[in-house]
Amino acid sequence: MTAAFAVSGLCKRYPQFELKDLNLSLPEGTVMGLVGVNGAGKTTLLRLLTGIAAPDAGQVEVLGRRLPEAQVAAKRDIGFASEDMRLYRSQSLDWHMQLMRQIYPAWDESYAQHLIQRFDLNPAQALAGFSHGQRVKALLMLCLARRPRLLLLDEPTTGLDPVARMEVLESLADVLRDDQRSVLFSSHNTHDVEQLADSIAFLHRGQLIAHADKESFLDNWRRLLCLGQAPGNLKAWPELAQVRAAGSQIEIKVRAWREDLPQRLDAIGLSVQRADPMTLEDIFVTTVRAGGVA
Amino acid sequence: MSQELNMPLIRLLVVKDWQLFQKQLAALVLAGIVALALLGLAKPWSFYLGSLLLIVVLVAAACFAIGTSLLTERKEQTLAFVMSLPVSPLDMTVSKLAGNLITFGVPFLVLLLGTLLVILGTPLPDGLLTMAILLFGHVLLAYCLSLTVAMQVESEGWNLFVMITSMVLINPFIMLLGQIDSIREPARGNDIVWSTPALAILAAQILLSLAALGYILWRHRRRAAFY
Repeated sequence: MTAAFAVSGLCKRYPQFELKDLNLSLPEGTVMGLVGVNGAGKTTLLRLLTGIAAPDAGQVEVLGRRLPEAQVAAKRDIGFASEDMRLYRSQSLDWHMQLMRQIYPAWDESYAQHLIQRFDLNPAQALAGFSHGQRVKALLMLCLARRPRLLLLDEPTTGLDPVARMEVLESLADVLRDDQRSVLFSSHNTHDVEQLADSIAFLHRGQLIAHADKESFLDNWRRLLCLGQAPGNLKAWPELAQVRAAGSQIEIKVRAWREDLPQRLDAIGLSVQRADPMTLEDIFVTTVRAGGVA
Repeated sequence: MSQELNMPLIRLLVVKDWQLFQKQLAALVLAGIVALALLGLAKPWSFYLGSLLLIVVLVAAACFAIGTSLLTERKEQTLAFVMSLPVSPLDMTVSKLAGNLITFGVPFLVLLLGTLLVILGTPLPDGLLTMAILLFGHVLLAYCLSLTVAMQVESEGWNLFVMITSMVLINPFIMLLGQIDSIREPARGNDIVWSTPALAILAAQILLSLAALGYILWRHRRRAAFY
């Protein structure tokens, strides 16, 4: 399977931040969710993937092209929308669409009109009169209607009300039905990521701390509630990410769940009362707190 | 490394900037025409008022072009949108340079031409033409320097400082011209005199303006990425 993008040994240094030795790739036709707190390096990675920023070390290849050298050709096939991107307030959505039509030969007018109706946007209205949610949807419409092969979205649902968020997520889900298109979207909202992504990458302090397909993440992690006395060396077990006493109970978060784990815990005096799957949010927070080892 | 320019897109970006600012520029040209009409009355009070208004309009056009197409674009985060389009940093530099030169150049040339016609076609002394061209030359130089700084330095404070300082220097420049006999004296008569000092000042203004614009292209020609 060809890669929508592949980065290797990627480094980018800023005075207050450093993206360190990142190796990551996205197979074509799949969706990756990039999860990280603010300042984790998500935006930096997305800028490197569009060629807007140049790496200090390492290689970036997007849709078979080396970046930033071939950024002009690559950006013809990339739809990039970021939280800090704004449209021209004095101009209407129609004006922006006209600009896009002239730039992108693959612009799909009927799809654009479909999205305008779906998002309930007024193309004749100046952007200054749009709400935040409408601005995000307008930007997304301009990205989607150009039919990009790779969609890069930086925090697409941040600041949206629940209705607007659902509309945006549903539109993205529609895009994802086309198995030729690939999507990388960053978010600190793990619910959105859990809903859409095939694979998930955790970024923390400029480092990739975990990357796996969604099912593996959810299958491998468990939250156990046990009764008994936890031995001192329990925290050293490599499959356990966190061990915490909660009253008379011991809460254990497992990063590599196996069916025989309750028996092994029982053998050291811990009786497992419950074994529950964990949400992606819980997995992410536990991974970060455990020092970034998933 | 030589980069190929994406000319169709550069043209689109220049047209985009023109469309964004054309109403305001039309208002500036209109104000400039009022200034020229006042100058054309050739009365002491109207000459003073007209020349003051003309300088204000020229400075406003220069600051407006730079402020809206560069500083506001950064501030309002529309630059990120433009960078996401299929453009290289050099395409962007060329489009910003061309767009700026057009948005400033059109009102500048209209007002320059209008000023020359007013001087030559009204009772104002024709000798004023030399001094008027030198004043336009100063505004052009101040504009080119401000544009160079705006395209190099992201700090809004520094940009405003350079813009205001270079434009405000027009006052001492007028005083300087008044101290040079070979420029001051012919301005009162009907002969158009291009003395050596006048030609030297004009040449310096043009060369420095071109050097400033050339520096921008030289600095940006090898940039592979925006950040």
